[in-house]
Amino acid sequence: MSLYPPPNESYYPLFPPGPEPTSPESIRNSPEFRSMRGAHRSFGTAATLVSVGGFLTYVLLSGFAAGLMNQPLAGHLTIGLALGLCQFLLMAVTIWLYVRHMRRRVDPVAQRLRAQLHDSRARAEAQAQAQQGRASAERRFGTW
Amino acid sequence: MVTQAAGQLVNHAASVTDRATLQLTLVLFITVVVVTLFTVLLTAPQRDEISEFYLGDRDMSPLRNGLAMCGDYLSAATLLGSTGIVALTGYDGLLYLGGTVVAWMMALLMIAEPLRNSGKFTLGDTLASRLPQGQRSVRLALALCTLAVCLLYLVAQLVGSIALLAQFIGAPSGTARAMCVVVIGTIVVVYAAIGGMPGATVIQVVKAVMLVAGVGITAVMVLHHFSWNIDRLLSSAADNSALGERYLGPGLRYGGSTTNKLDFFSLQLAIVLGLAALPHIMMRLLAPRTTRVLRGSVVWAVGLIGFVCLMAGVLGLGATAIVGREQIADVDPRGDAAVLLLGYELGGGVLVALLSSLAFITLLGVAGGLTLAAASSIAHDLYGAVIRKGKATETEEVAVARLSAAAIGVMGMLLALLSWGTSTATLAFLAFAIAASAILPTIVYSLFWQGFTARGALLSLYGGLACSVLLVVFSPIVSATSTSLYPNADFAWFPLQNPGIVSIPAGFLLGWLGSVLSKRQAPEVFEEFEVRALVGADER
Repeated sequence: MSLYPPPNESYYPLFPPGPEPTSPESIRNSPEFRSMRGAHRSFGTAATLVSVGGFLTYVLLSGFAAGLMNQPLAGHLTIGLALGLCQFLLMAVTIWLYVRHMRRRVDPVAQRLRAQLHDSRARAEAQAQAQQGRASAERRFGTW
Repeated sequence: MVTQAAGQLVNHAASVTDRATLQLTLVLFITVVVVTLFTVLLTAPQRDEISEFYLGDRDMSPLRNGLAMCGDYLSAATLLGSTGIVALTGYDGLLYLGGTVVAWMMALLMIAEPLRNSGKFTLGDTLASRLPQGQRSVRLALALCTLAVCLLYLVAQLVGSIALLAQFIGAPSGTARAMCVVVIGTIVVVYAAIGGMPGATVIQVVKAVMLVAGVGITAVMVLHHFSWNIDRLLSSAADNSALGERYLGPGLRYGGSTTNKLDFFSLQLAIVLGLAALPHIMMRLLAPRTTRVLRGSVVWAVGLIGFVCLMAGVLGLGATAIVGREQIADVDPRGDAAVLLLGYELGGGVLVALLSSLAFITLLGVAGGLTLAAASSIAHDLYGAVIRKGKATETEEVAVARLSAAAIGVMGMLLALLSWGTSTATLAFLAFAIAASAILPTIVYSLFWQGFTARGALLSLYGGLACSVLLVVFSPIVSATSTSLYPNADFAWFPLQNPGIVSIPAGFLLGWLGSVLSKRQAPEVFEEFEVRALVGADER
């Protein structure tokens, strides 16, 4: 690290950014972040559509296809009641899959990126502090 | 025996039980209130720090967080109202209970984690960091919507407390009504104003534990009564409903005409999308310190709520099977007495007292959460950011939050006394519709759509609010039928009682339109926001 850090990154336009993305912008452009965002969104959207859409379809079916829902399955258990219980099962399975998906695909990447961001922020703060320290030091000497 | 007991009940001027039960209920209720009040005083924020007042203890375990969410979410409407609907309408009531659980899926899968990562104290903070240009007007709009939703829902809870009291003493006199609302309202204000979020959490957790235990135990008693044979429960319910097989099929409540069916779909849409956008639930989502704890909390919450709703279904069916549908409808045409009548049959006065004190505590908990959410929004968004432009000190802001909690409580009490005859369900459903058509589009767009702008947010917030309220004003709820507020007037050109099916798409459409028509904002803002929302750049 040089003693006098450049005021911003565009100061040396010839040097490409390092392999480690550090600022929020570079993290957003990194392929890791993009794939994580994709994994997060596609699963979230699909799972929401399945569970919420499934339930709303069930409501519509109950309203407009009452005859079908009244077909008895076993004893007094009709297709409608069974489908209602299936909604609870569907939700349980969706939640289990979601937690597993997040733990495997999203959390590790997010943790890594968070650590990088944290590092870069700490470094920037240290630099700012060093600069400030220098400035105040100069001022101190100036009064003498 | 059933008819004899029911006859006795009807003789008591349409009340559920005798004086001793009422006294036992009061003793139980007061005990719980006193104990929780002392706990609230002990856990109240010691210093005037806004993070403590708004978010409370941020290091709670997922189970405790989940219990608090469950407590904030399940109101007395679930315990008494939904079970009553199941008892009276069977299948349609069960469908309604299902929607209450499914509503959490959207919150868990799409909204909770990015919202927590990008948020700070209130929802307004999230929007302000996403839409920095024009953030003050967006905060103002959001605060107005929050206030509308919270007040409507709060009034529904207080009106519900009058309805609950009516189960004991028959139609209450004006003094009894006022006493009931003022006592409940004052306790709520004390919880919210003195306790802040830590205090609200105490009562939510206590209430959730009591609710899960109470509903679970009563359901076990019902199942035991039918020797754990679900089919026998279903067949006795169908037999005692005097409707036969129709009871277990759809269409009893929302059957017949297409308008009715669409109305039910509209209601379900508002519930499934709106519950996750209720301000007091959003505040709970912001509290956990890490994403992992938040996920665990929401999973616990969904599990507990799913359990309570399944058991509530059992209670409703059991009430019809054991007490009989006619008797329930005789005591209260809306069915609110179903659980209490069932409790009387299964466990006598003691169980009725337990269940009704549970219902009062439940009311109290939800009302406290709502008051706190509205007060935070006023103090942080309206006072801190709009009026003082971010220059208010923390002490000042907390003082304003406490004062506005008191003001909202008083306002809720007055409105409840004025509108005590209205159905609590109508008020609550309107609150859901506003949340789903004004607040939800704004949240979804700001989290996931780069092109969203401040004008889009304003349009969807004000537009969604106005659309839902106006549609209800021009619906059969307000005029044209014998059960409406103004039965003699007729300006009801909107045929449905629930505006959701129109107002929710309208809210989304307006948000899109406003954003497309306004100047795009700088892309860096969204890029930084998105990184924060997904990576959780700072574990606050």
